[in-house]
Amino acid sequence: MSETSRLTVVVPCSGIGKALGSVSREAAYELCDNLRPASTRLVALSKLVLGEEEARRLVRRSPVVTIDGCKKMCAASLVRHSDGVVSREVAVLDVFRRHSHLKPDGIAELNEDGRELARVLATEIADDLASLLSDGGIHA
Amino acid sequence: MPELPARKAGIVACSGEEIAEGTVSRLAALKVLHETRRGATVTICLPLFLAGGEGDRTFARIHPTITVDGCELRCAARGTEIYSGKPAASLVVTDLLSRRGLERPEGRRSLNEAGRRAVELTADRLAELVDDVLGRSGGDTVDLPEAEPASKVPAVTCACGSGIPLSTITIEGRPVELVALPLIFQSFRDAVRVGDATLGRELLETVKIYNAVATGDEPGYTEALLREYQAFCAGRAS
Repeated sequence: MSETSRLTVVVPCSGIGKALGSVSREAAYELCDNLRPASTRLVALSKLVLGEEEARRLVRRSPVVTIDGCKKMCAASLVRHSDGVVSREVAVLDVFRRHSHLKPDGIAELNEDGRELARVLATEIADDLASLLSDGGIHA
Repeated sequence: MPELPARKAGIVACSGEEIAEGTVSRLAALKVLHETRRGATVTICLPLFLAGGEGDRTFARIHPTITVDGCELRCAARGTEIYSGKPAASLVVTDLLSRRGLERPEGRRSLNEAGRRAVELTADRLAELVDDVLGRSGGDTVDLPEAEPASKVPAVTCACGSGIPLSTITIEGRPVELVALPLIFQSFRDAVRVGDATLGRELLETVKIYNAVATGDEPGYTEALLREYQAFCAGRAS
């Protein structure tokens, strides 16, 4: 299956109080707006909280990548709560540990390190999308 | 026993990542939380009502909560009501802009000028609502200290840094964590409740609103709550 033949749903966390939550959202935008605009679709987590039918349908029918900013893993939890299957579960903290020279800061507006961490994270996911779609496996 | 936190307004933003109005809701909430009503407001990530624990779901029952939604789906308002408690007030960005005849924002990732104006307008209206629910006079500039650090007031923490007080008391020889206990004790003390015949039962019933208590455990809880309440009123830490 080619990467563009199937849509991948991307669900970032809605973290509002910590920089890593902002990184998760920024990474999702980088992935969906810049790196893979044709093959990804961003879904707002708040819709899954509400149980909005179109959002639920999307996460049930498509491979889903979740990006979470803290250990509560709200995005992954709510996709599963919506009967979706998380194909790749990304914790920003894990990526941060591998790139610890990047020190994200800022909530309303990320600093340059935060934006770079988001770009790194988004690129890692983008590079993995093809295999994600081809085998439908779990890449937690 | 932790010191009582000041009464604060809760703010729950939809943060709708798909649309620019969702970004407006988030940035307006942050502006009120960190600037215009700093110290008088707390927040919680909306998804925690489902993904978090029981303590997270008590948020709107403890804090008079104002929801900020980006669109007519009203995910924050409806989600808060379903999973936590009825909001004290609600605000929808698209409605607010429409009433003021303002242009819709663009740029969910980076707001345009109309978006930045929408953040200012939404934050101003949100601050007014905070004043209303806290009984402050309109237009006051609130200059309160930041929330107590977690090391001082144990709290049910979340990614958003909100803090619902969480206390550990000893019940029949074992430590038990209870949500909102200082707030409950404060409300009883404000009502000048002392050791009357129904105090223990009423304390227990109020605690049960926010915490799960098995029927068989009720006598032990009642005894412990009366003991802790006496200590609270005497100003002693347990």
